Amino acid sequence: MASGSLQAPHLCLDSRVSQTETSARPPLVRPRRAVIGGVSAGLSEHLGWPVRRVRLLLVVASLLGGAGILFYGWLWALVPLAPGETGDAEETPRRRAPIAAILLVLGAVAAIAAIVQANVEGSASTAVSLSLALTGGAVVWSLALDEHDPDRSPRYRLIIRSAGATVLLATGLLLLASNDWRPEAMTAVVAVGMMVLGLAVAVAPFIVRLWNELMRERSGRIREEQRAEIAAHLHDSVLQTLALIQNRAGASSDVARIARAQERELREWLFAGDGAPGADLVSELSEDAATIEVEYPARIDVVTVGESVPAHPSLVAAAREAMLNAARHGGGEVSVYVEAATSAVDVFVRDRGAGIDLDALPADRLGVRESIIGRMQRAGGTATVQRGAGGVGTEVHLHLDL
Amino acid sequence: MTRVVIVDDHSIFRSGLKASLDAAVEVLSEAADVDAAVAAVTEHRPEVVLLDVHLPGGAGGGGAEVIRRCAGLLDSVRFLALSVSDSAEDVVGVIRAGARGYITKGSSADDVNSAIRTVASGDAVFSPRLAGFVLDAFGAAAGEQAVADDELDRLSAREREVMRLIARGYAYKEVATELFISIKTVETHVSAVLRKLQLSSRHELTAWALERKLL
Repeated sequence: MASGSLQAPHLCLDSRVSQTETSARPPLVRPRRAVIGGVSAGLSEHLGWPVRRVRLLLVVASLLGGAGILFYGWLWALVPLAPGETGDAEETPRRRAPIAAILLVLGAVAAIAAIVQANVEGSASTAVSLSLALTGGAVVWSLALDEHDPDRSPRYRLIIRSAGATVLLATGLLLLASNDWRPEAMTAVVAVGMMVLGLAVAVAPFIVRLWNELMRERSGRIREEQRAEIAAHLHDSVLQTLALIQNRAGASSDVARIARAQERELREWLFAGDGAPGADLVSELSEDAATIEVEYPARIDVVTVGESVPAHPSLVAAAREAMLNAARHGGGEVSVYVEAATSAVDVFVRDRGAGIDLDALPADRLGVRESIIGRMQRAGGTATVQRGAGGVGTEVHLHLDL
Repeated sequence: MTRVVIVDDHSIFRSGLKASLDAAVEVLSEAADVDAAVAAVTEHRPEVVLLDVHLPGGAGGGGAEVIRRCAGLLDSVRFLALSVSDSAEDVVGVIRAGARGYITKGSSADDVNSAIRTVASGDAVFSPRLAGFVLDAFGAAAGEQAVADDELDRLSAREREVMRLIARGYAYKEVATELFISIKTVETHVSAVLRKLQLSSRHELTAWALERKLL
């Protein structure tokens, strides 16, 4: 029977040839949802036999000197996995049968047999080896296959591992204790080996976790160092060039504005995380200034003095309007000065444009009157709009008592 | 004719800066690190040194180290600090070492030229941002005020007013008009503030600088 089914791997190995010869036959692949390894299901699909017949053949062949098991292992190793349902090659195979648990129970039974045998007959090497292989197999299965199987809970894996360690340790100890602590030499060696293996299984997860953490930390540090190096290099080269472009191109030219916006973005990236961004008045105003700079031919310098105060919405809105006016009508260099104390906040916005005469403003220019002066008054503050020093440009002064 | 030495480790920036200087400025020499800068300044004795804040070489002290090693020449040689950033640590570090002014590298060519002239004539160059730092460092925003004029640790009422106007973007001339004083008086006030910034042992200033790892 075993020889009958041995023809299958021939087909499988020349799968390309077999496909052309017998194109009706589906390719030999293992499904991703399987009982054990998906070999039987794959074979039955390929050969067109019912899966029960394939399983029966394999079991019978296994009873003939283990040929079925060998054949099963061989196919498992060589037959490729079927592509995932979603076409995702990474989909992890799921295995229905709790093989690790079954192996563990068999290992424990073999261990009991070995202990009894060792106490009665003295030597128990066959049973001991069997127990060692089965229990070790259970642990390896749990570590290698169940670890990635979404059908196996972490709790199940933990139980398998601790039970495996217990079986190994206990069997080793009981074997050493056989014959009134005078075990047969070979049994003693295996017993000590079992205990060492048991200890290893017990502590392996911790060592693995420690190792992983160490590696993660190391790679994190390397990334951080690399980032600092890149930052230093960019600071040295690119920022200098951007500064030079601004120096040469003149404050309100398009080129200078682009260079300035670029410089600001680069700085934000380089020094990200240095200062905690919050709803702080200064950071709000700086952000607004940056946005306005991008849209209008102006360069807005924000100078701040004093303490960090929360952003008052009316003050921020009025200041934004003032900066917008300055950039739109004044252009060129706009100076913003924020002086914040715990009791009051002053904001000065100054441009060097043609200047505006508030009294001569047409009635439809509601911008200044409403959105700056009116807004500040409603918020309980004051706003004055006047000509800048020496009659050049406009200066808006916002004041708000906190 | 103002004789200057340019100290900057970026050759692109040096040549760009040189091209933007006007005809009244003569570049005697250039240097790219601390040791070369000290050698060039000692040899050429320029009126003004355009000094990058971040410089390689020497003991790693950058521009401030150059000024300290040229301390004996400070009577005839004036340092104008240039920095790509306008962070407090860059500014206060070089000013306390003895620089007579500070501008950012992004300043326009006109600003750079007028700053060179101002520093060469013995006055201090205060950018709005530097004025802001000074107001902060001397607690002026919180209302602290010097009682006597020679007090080093606080600004006088007039100095505070001048600093506030400069922080608001006023040129010296505009400050003078606004306060009904002469430009010369404004310059005197600014120089006095610079001296206070350099000599003050004010506890807050030190703590403030330490917090930003300056000293």
